[in-house]
Amino acid sequence: MTTNWQFAWRNIWRNKRRTILTMCAIGFGASLIVFSVGLQLGQYDLMISGSTRIYQGLVQVQKKGYLDEARMRNSIADAQTLANNIRKTTAINDVAVRANGFALVSSRERTYGVAVIGVETRHEGNVSIIPGLVKEGRYLANDNASEVVIGRSLAKNLKITLGDELTILGSGRDGSIAATIFPVVGIFDSGSRELDRGLVQIPLNSFQQVFSMGNHAHAVVIYHQNAELVDTLKTQLQPLLKAADPDLLALGWDQIQPGIKESIELDYSSGWFMYIVLVAIITFSIMNTFLMSVLERTREFGIMLALGFKPINIGKLVMMEALILTLFALIAGTLIGLAVNYYFLINGLTFEGMEEIAAQYNMPATITPQISIESTLLGPAVILIFTLLAALYPAMKIRKLEPVEAMRHI
Amino acid sequence: MNHVVQCEKVTKIFEQGLIKVNALTDVDLAIEKAEFICLSGPSGSGKSTLLNMIGGLDTPTSGEVYIDGEEIDELNKSELADLRLHKIGFVFQAYNLIPVLSAQENIEMVMQMQGVSKKERNEKSSAILEEVGLQGMEKRIPPELSGGQQQRVAVARAIVSRPSLVLADEPTANLDSVTANKLIDLMLQMNEIHKTTFIISTHDPMIMQRSKKLVKLHDGRIIDIT
Amino acid sequence: MNSFLLIFSLAWRNLWRNKRRTLVILLAIVLGVWAMIVTAAFMRGMIFQMLEDTVDNLAGHVQIHHSQYLDDPVINNSFDPDSHTISRITHDPRVLMWSDRIRLPAVVLSERETTGITMLGVNPARESKISFIGKSVVEGRFLNSSSDTGIVIGQALADKLETRLGKRIVLMSQDINNEIADRGFRIVGIYDAPLDPTEKAFVFVGKETAAKMVGLKGAISEIVLRLHDTDMVTPLVTEMDQLDHTIDVMSWLEVEPYLELMIQMMDTSMFIWYLIVFLAMAFGIINTLLMAVFERTREFGLFQALGQKPRFILFQVWLEAILMIIVGLLAGNFLSWISVMATGDGIDVSVFARGMEMINMSNIIPFVITFNDLMIANITVAVLGMLTGLYPAWRASRLVPADAITRI
Ligand SMILES: Nc1ncnc2c1ncn2[C@@H]1O[C@H](COP(=O)(O)OP(=O)(O)O)[C@@H](O)[C@H]1O
Ligand SMILES: [Mg+2]
Repeated sequence: MTTNWQFAWRNIWRNKRRTILTMCAIGFGASLIVFSVGLQLGQYDLMISGSTRIYQGLVQVQKKGYLDEARMRNSIADAQTLANNIRKTTAINDVAVRANGFALVSSRERTYGVAVIGVETRHEGNVSIIPGLVKEGRYLANDNASEVVIGRSLAKNLKITLGDELTILGSGRDGSIAATIFPVVGIFDSGSRELDRGLVQIPLNSFQQVFSMGNHAHAVVIYHQNAELVDTLKTQLQPLLKAADPDLLALGWDQIQPGIKESIELDYSSGWFMYIVLVAIITFSIMNTFLMSVLERTREFGIMLALGFKPINIGKLVMMEALILTLFALIAGTLIGLAVNYYFLINGLTFEGMEEIAAQYNMPATITPQISIESTLLGPAVILIFTLLAALYPAMKIRKLEPVEAMRHI
Repeated sequence: MNHVVQCEKVTKIFEQGLIKVNALTDVDLAIEKAEFICLSGPSGSGKSTLLNMIGGLDTPTSGEVYIDGEEIDELNKSELADLRLHKIGFVFQAYNLIPVLSAQENIEMVMQMQGVSKKERNEKSSAILEEVGLQGMEKRIPPELSGGQQQRVAVARAIVSRPSLVLADEPTANLDSVTANKLIDLMLQMNEIHKTTFIISTHDPMIMQRSKKLVKLHDGRIIDIT
Repeated sequence: MNSFLLIFSLAWRNLWRNKRRTLVILLAIVLGVWAMIVTAAFMRGMIFQMLEDTVDNLAGHVQIHHSQYLDDPVINNSFDPDSHTISRITHDPRVLMWSDRIRLPAVVLSERETTGITMLGVNPARESKISFIGKSVVEGRFLNSSSDTGIVIGQALADKLETRLGKRIVLMSQDINNEIADRGFRIVGIYDAPLDPTEKAFVFVGKETAAKMVGLKGAISEIVLRLHDTDMVTPLVTEMDQLDHTIDVMSWLEVEPYLELMIQMMDTSMFIWYLIVFLAMAFGIINTLLMAVFERTREFGLFQALGQKPRFILFQVWLEAILMIIVGLLAGNFLSWISVMATGDGIDVSVFARGMEMINMSNIIPFVITFNDLMIANITVAVLGMLTGLYPAWRASRLVPADAITRI
C-alpha cells in the first residue's frame, strides 16, 4: 500500500509546472472560500448579536399571537413571578420583564406617538444596552419611580431637556384612558434611529398603574450571548411555561426578528451560489490536467496492463494521484485562508462606506471573521468533492484500455 | 568562393552536467552547387549535429559554417530564419508535416511565408505535387497519408521554392526499402532537374551506394570522402 | 497579409485539434463569463428595484420641504406652494409631474388599538399619478378630491387595528397651535403596497380635510417631483436649492443616502468578483495552452527549421489563446442572454420575503443588464485573457529548434 502512495506521489511530480499550476487553482479557490465564508459568518454573528444585545434579547416569552399583533390585552399574568422562576430554573440571570404600550407623548410644544415600555429597572440593563447608554442624567431609579427616560432624537424633536415634564396619553389594557405626567430623568443615545426616536421607558410598576395592567406584562426577555443556545433554552423553558399558562410561547431571536434571519439566509445562499460557480469554474480549469496526465501515459498503462496490472488498480492509482494533489492544495489553501481570517480577527476589517451601511443594520463598522469548523472546512470539502468527480472521468476511461492498443499509442 | 556550403574546423561539444560529449571534432567540408551528398556513419556519429550546424539550427562550439559564402555565426535569430526560409529546405526522419494542414497547404506554407501570391502558390504546389506523384491527394491531411507519401510531401515542400540546399536527416529511416528507394529516386530526379544541392544523412548502405559523393563520419570526425 | 492568413488558419485549426480539451476549458470560460454577467445583472437589478421602490414609495425623484422640516417634522414647518420659487420649480420643463402633500406624524385609534403612523394629506388626482397608491387600492376606492372626508389605509394597518372598510377611525396630531387635534374618518379604501412596513406607516386623506383638521391655511409640508430623466435630478437639485434658503430641495439619493453608497460599493465588489472568476479560469487557460505547446514542441522546431521567425510562433500560439477567449466570450454572453430571457420578469426571492423587507425591497428581482456592466465584464476577460495567453506563446517561441526536432 505504501508503495502505491509513493508511486502516486512521484507521478504527480513528473510535470512540476502543471502540478503547481493545478494546485494553485485549487488552493486559490480554497483560501478564497475559507476567507469569505469566515467573513460572512462573522458578519452574521455581528448581526445576530447586535439584534439580540441591543434590545430584543435571545429568547422572549410572550402570549400566543402577541408577536403578530401586539395587542395590549394579550398579556402575561404575574409576569414577574414567571421571570423569577426562569432565573431560578435556567440559572440565567439576564432576564427582564417588559410591558409595551403605545401613547402620545407631548412636551409643551410638540406631540409625537411613540412606544412606551415599562421595564424592571433592576434587570433591564442585563437584557438591553439602553440603560447603559444614558448620556445625560441617569437611568430609572426603581420600579415604582414616577419618571421617564427618552431617546436623544425624540428629545430633540420634542424640544425637551432633562428635568422637563413629559405628558403621556394613551389607552390602558381595559380601554380606559391612560394619562400621566412624568419628568425626564435621562436621555439615551443608542445610535439606532428606531430606538432613539420611537421609544420611551418608564418603570414597570408605574406602567402597570398608568395602563391598568394589574400584575400583567407583555414579554419576559432573556439574554444570552451565545446565540446557538436558543433552542436549548426554549426546550428548557417549556415545562415552566406550561405550568404558568398553556398559551405562553418561548420565541427565539429568529422568530422575533425573522427579517434578520432571512436576510442572513439570503446573503448566505447568494454567497454559496457564487462559491459553487467558482468551484465549478476551477473544476473545469483543472479537469484538463487530470485528463492529460492520464492520456499521455496511455502507453505506460499499456505496459502495466501487459505486466498483469488490473485496470481497476490503475484507476485507483489515478484517483490516488488526484486525491494527493487536491489534499495538499486544499491544506495549503485552507491555511492561507485561515491566516487571513486570523489576521482580520485580530485587527478587524473595515472598508470605505462600511460605516454607513453598518449603521443601517445597527452593526459596528468593523467585521471580524468567524473561525469555526463550518467556515474552515465546508468550502474545502465542496472543492474536494468537485475535483474528485473531475478525476473520476479519466479514471473511468482506463477501464476500457486494451494493453496491445495502448502500447502502440504514442 | 562558389561553394554552397563550407565548414571550417567545425567542433561541437554538448555539455550535460558534468559529461561532455564531443559530437563533432574539426570537421572541414566544402560542397558545391548541384552536388548530391550522402552523409553516412553509425548512430551517434554526429550526422544530425552536422546537418543542424549547416542548417543554422544550432551553432558550433568553434569553427565556422558558410552558406553561399555567408558566415552564419554572424547572423541573428531573425536573419537565420530568413536564411532558412529562402535558401534551405529540410526533410526530417518523421513528423515533417504540420498535422492540421493538408498536403497542398503544407507545401504552400513556405511560399506563403515568403509572400508569394496565392495564384503562383497554387500553380507551383500543384506542379510539384504532380512531380512527386501525389496528384489527387492535395486535400489530404498528414494522418491520411502513408509514411512514404508524407516524406514525398516533405521533399516537395523542401524544393518547391527552389532553395540552394536541401538537408535531409535520415529521410528513409522510417520507410520500407521499396518506398525508400522511390524516395531516393525522387530526390535524385529533383537534383538533376532543378540542380538543387542535396545533403542526405543515412546509415542505410543501399542509399550510400546510390549517392554521387559519400562522406563518412565516425565519432564526430570525417574519416573518408569518396 | 499572407502570413496573417496562415497564422490565423493555423491557430484556428490547432484550437480544435484536441476537441475535448478545448471544450473543457471553454466550459470554464463560458461559465465564468456567464457568472460575471448574471451576477452583475442580478446586483444591478437589485439596486434598480430598490431605486424604483424608493421612488414609487412616495419619495419621487426630488423633494421640497421647509428648511427646518427634516429636523423637526411638525405642522409649523410648512411652506406656501404658490410662492414664486415653488411655481418656478413646478413649471420647469424637466419636471414630468409633481404632487403636494401635508405630511404629519399622527396617531391612529380604532375601537381596539392605537398606533403611530404618518398622515399624508394629498391631492388625489396628482398623487395617484406619482406614487404607488394610484394602482394599489384593492378594496373600496381612492380619495375623490382634496376635500374628501374619507381615509385610505394599508391592508396591514387595517389588520393591526382590527378594522375594515366602512369603519371609522380617529386620527390625532398636533395642530398649528401645538394643541392636539383629532378627527374621525371613514375608511373608504384599503391599499396593498409591495412592502408591509409601507402599509403600516402611511394613511392617505384629502389635503383640504387635513388642512382643516390641523388649522393650516394654504401651506403644505412637502412637494415631490418626478422628472423626465433621472440624469436631470442632480443638476436640477443643485440649481433649485439655491433659489430660496427657507426651502430645502433634495434628491432621492439624499433621502436614502445608503443607496448611493451601495451603488458605488457594487461597482467595486463586482470588479473584484470579475478578477476572482478570471483567476479561477486563468490557471486552466495557462495549463491547457502549455500542454498544447509542449506536445507540439516538434512542430514549433519544424516551423523554425522552415524559416519562421520566433515572433511568428509567438503570434500563432497567442492567436490560438485569443480565439479561444473570443469563442468563450461569445458563448458566455449568449448563455447569459438566454438565461436572463428565460427568467422573464426576474427571479422570485419570496422565500426570503422578510429579509428583503429589511433592506426595503420587494420579492421579485429583475435582471438588469447594462451596456456598461457588459463591457466591463467582456473587456476584463478579453484583456486579462490576452495577457494570460502571452505566457504559453512566449514559451513556444523560445523553444530551441535543434532540440525541439531531435527530442521526441
Ligand atoms: N542536444 C544534445 N545534448 C547532448 N548531447 C547531444 C545532443 N544532441 C546530440 N548529442 C550527442 O551528440 C552525439 C552525436 O549525435 P547525433 O548528431 O544525433 O548523431 P547521429 O545523428 O549520427 O545519430 C551523440 O553522442 C549524441 O548523444
Ligand atoms: Mg541522427
